[in-house]
Amino acid sequence: MAEVERTFRVFRYKQGQAAPSYQTFKVKAGPRTTVLEALQEIRRTQDRTLILRHSCHHASCGTCGMRVNGQEVLSCVTNVQELGAETVLVEPINNIPLVADLVVDMGGFYERYVDAHMPYIRQSEFEPDADLPEGIAQYTRYENCLECGLCVSACPVMGSTSDYLGPAALAAAWRVVAEPRGQDAGRAAEAALEWVDNENGCWRCHVAYECTEVCPSDVDPGGSIMALRRKLTGRKFRRLLRLER
Amino acid sequence: MQNASATRNDVRPRRPLRAWFDVRRRHMGSWAFAINRLTGLGLAAYLFLHLAVLSTLLQGEAGWDRFLQLARSPFFLLLDVVLIFGILFHGLNGIRVALVGMGVGARQHRALFWVLMAIGFVLLAYSAWKVFTI
Amino acid sequence: MDRFHALVIGGGGTGAAVAHDLTLRGLQVTLVERGELTSGTTGRHHGLLHSGARYAVKDQESAIECIEENLILRRIAPGTFEENDGLFVAIDDEDVAYSHEFVEGCQECGIPVRRLSREQTLRLEPNLNPALQMAVQVPDATMDAMRMPLRFFATAKHNGAVIKPFTEVVDFIKYGSAVSGVRVHDLTNDKVYEIKADIVINAGGPWSGKISHMVDVDVPIRPSPGVMLAVRGRLCNMVVNRLHRSGDGDIIVPQRGLSVVGTSSWVVDDPDDLGVPEEHVQLMLEKGSELIPQVKTAPFRGVWSAARPLIGPRGADTGRELSRTFKCFDHADEGVEGFVTITGGKATTLRGMAEAAANVVCQKLGVNAPCRTREVVLLPHAAYYG
Repeated sequence: MAEVERTFRVFRYKQGQAAPSYQTFKVKAGPRTTVLEALQEIRRTQDRTLILRHSCHHASCGTCGMRVNGQEVLSCVTNVQELGAETVLVEPINNIPLVADLVVDMGGFYERYVDAHMPYIRQSEFEPDADLPEGIAQYTRYENCLECGLCVSACPVMGSTSDYLGPAALAAAWRVVAEPRGQDAGRAAEAALEWVDNENGCWRCHVAYECTEVCPSDVDPGGSIMALRRKLTGRKFRRLLRLER
Repeated sequence: MQNASATRNDVRPRRPLRAWFDVRRRHMGSWAFAINRLTGLGLAAYLFLHLAVLSTLLQGEAGWDRFLQLARSPFFLLLDVVLIFGILFHGLNGIRVALVGMGVGARQHRALFWVLMAIGFVLLAYSAWKVFTI
Repeated sequence: MDRFHALVIGGGGTGAAVAHDLTLRGLQVTLVERGELTSGTTGRHHGLLHSGARYAVKDQESAIECIEENLILRRIAPGTFEENDGLFVAIDDEDVAYSHEFVEGCQECGIPVRRLSREQTLRLEPNLNPALQMAVQVPDATMDAMRMPLRFFATAKHNGAVIKPFTEVVDFIKYGSAVSGVRVHDLTNDKVYEIKADIVINAGGPWSGKISHMVDVDVPIRPSPGVMLAVRGRLCNMVVNRLHRSGDGDIIVPQRGLSVVGTSSWVVDDPDDLGVPEEHVQLMLEKGSELIPQVKTAPFRGVWSAARPLIGPRGADTGRELSRTFKCFDHADEGVEGFVTITGGKATTLRGMAEAAANVVCQKLGVNAPCRTREVVLLPHAAYYG
């Protein structure tokens, strides 16, 4: 594949403006050019006032989430030519307040996300049979969640209410229940279950599974929300039958 | 974020109807969600319509007969089929949501959806045949 | 705030640590970054918390910095590293021969090492090339290249520093020969305004040359990019290095569910225009698969390049020959007062770099406050947003 020219229609907005607009740029894209690289090229050669979030460039930090042709993606691993469209529409993610251009304010996202109290280091499930090196108690690794907000943007329920805890926070809560860690692990799991057991928690989901579809890091928020429901349903039944207090 | 105080929601307000029903670039789950909402609204409207129709009984035999006459027209029978579609979709998708929420088929929710829809289609075809042949 | 004591240019790891250090010493600090925080070099490195072993033979100054900072960071940023140690794997006879020199170098630098037999090594990491002959275990670890520095930003912010991403320096304000602030363009609202400060610290990494040119000062910085490649699947838990003098594609860093292969090295003039040479991509696949054969078959996830800020004279050609150590320049030496550059170094040594820069800054400002960053435990990364 050789270099091709694509038209980028980019969402623009600066604070103080009455309304957002779209600006068109022509960009050359090679066989490996990603949407992120194309946007950086726009910044470098055409309009340096275009702002966007990015950091790791390989789907590990979660900052460069945006909607490309209406689909939530990490722009750093979205190949321009593979989109198969002449025009590439780039917009900020939905359901998270806008700062400017493609930049959103993750403050509210984190406010909820940290309430799940998920430790960021988990046990590694890779090669569990391997011996451990001397001095290492267990192999650990980061949680899958990149805190990118794509699930929140794609969720149809988040689109109509800000009260819903949302897929990212609920998935974090499930991780606390699924793999209790650290001191007070039992109590943390209990607190997480209590946190999600209400009309704005795991019961608010309408099972569209769009969060799982767009997740770039195998978190499966939809499955996690269903797992929380199963856990809570089982417990409610047992309490009803007085098998558990 | 530093600029948090200046973030604006009003330039990009939430648009619930679009979030629910704009299924372009969305996946099976969103289609199911959107159709579920539509059929839900339709069934709620039907319930009131149904009560209104039943209330024609209060006007005596003549009024009811007139309604029955109308109810046998092909167009009305077609509406019956649409109604049955709504009931089947909403009910069967509801079964999927309930099962998945109880942990049954959470990983195979897509397959579960299509199996239920296949059952729904058979039931719909049978009902439609009955509606038009009785 | 009308006037800050210190203004830091550059929202990467160095800037984060400098802002944190100066804030702890009681200064009023602000930091400006033209893009998102960590969007330059910092966020894009392979995520290795160096033990220093990689430099233990050729560049012992860097190696000693690395092991010291490695231990400090584990203490002040708990819960931030995949603490699974690292392996230096010897595959051919030349590697084995080098291992003696290597182990000696590590011991001289105070880096704890353990020699492992072929069998021991494969029991730790079964995906490694079975042709390997032996390995050395060292205290490497994996970091989240964005979230680790974000903890410095979070702590600085909560201690009163004013952090301004998406704010680009367009000009310097000078009073005679002294820098007294900068003019910035706020890219969130398109407004240009001035920020006054007693001292301006250039922490622009590979961009520090561009920044210093605004006041006609030359910083001997060589932007030296490297290509990295990520594949899906976690192929190892420990950081895997080739046991030889550092070369291309000789390191694999596991990261969440990904494995990152790095890296190559060349030298560019403009750190904004790096590109990803296709032959380097193929080289990563080729060399990476010599360590872990699955690198070639695992699903591709991404490829990118990032520019190291190496200190060295013009004329360097690959950057491999340049030291990884850092340096603080007080530009009063070149006749510009109130302007300091801190550059070079690595993500692992960000705190040490900040300490050196803050010492210079405090001395210039006549502030007598000790560095506290070795002890103060950092806030979690999410606290930056809260």
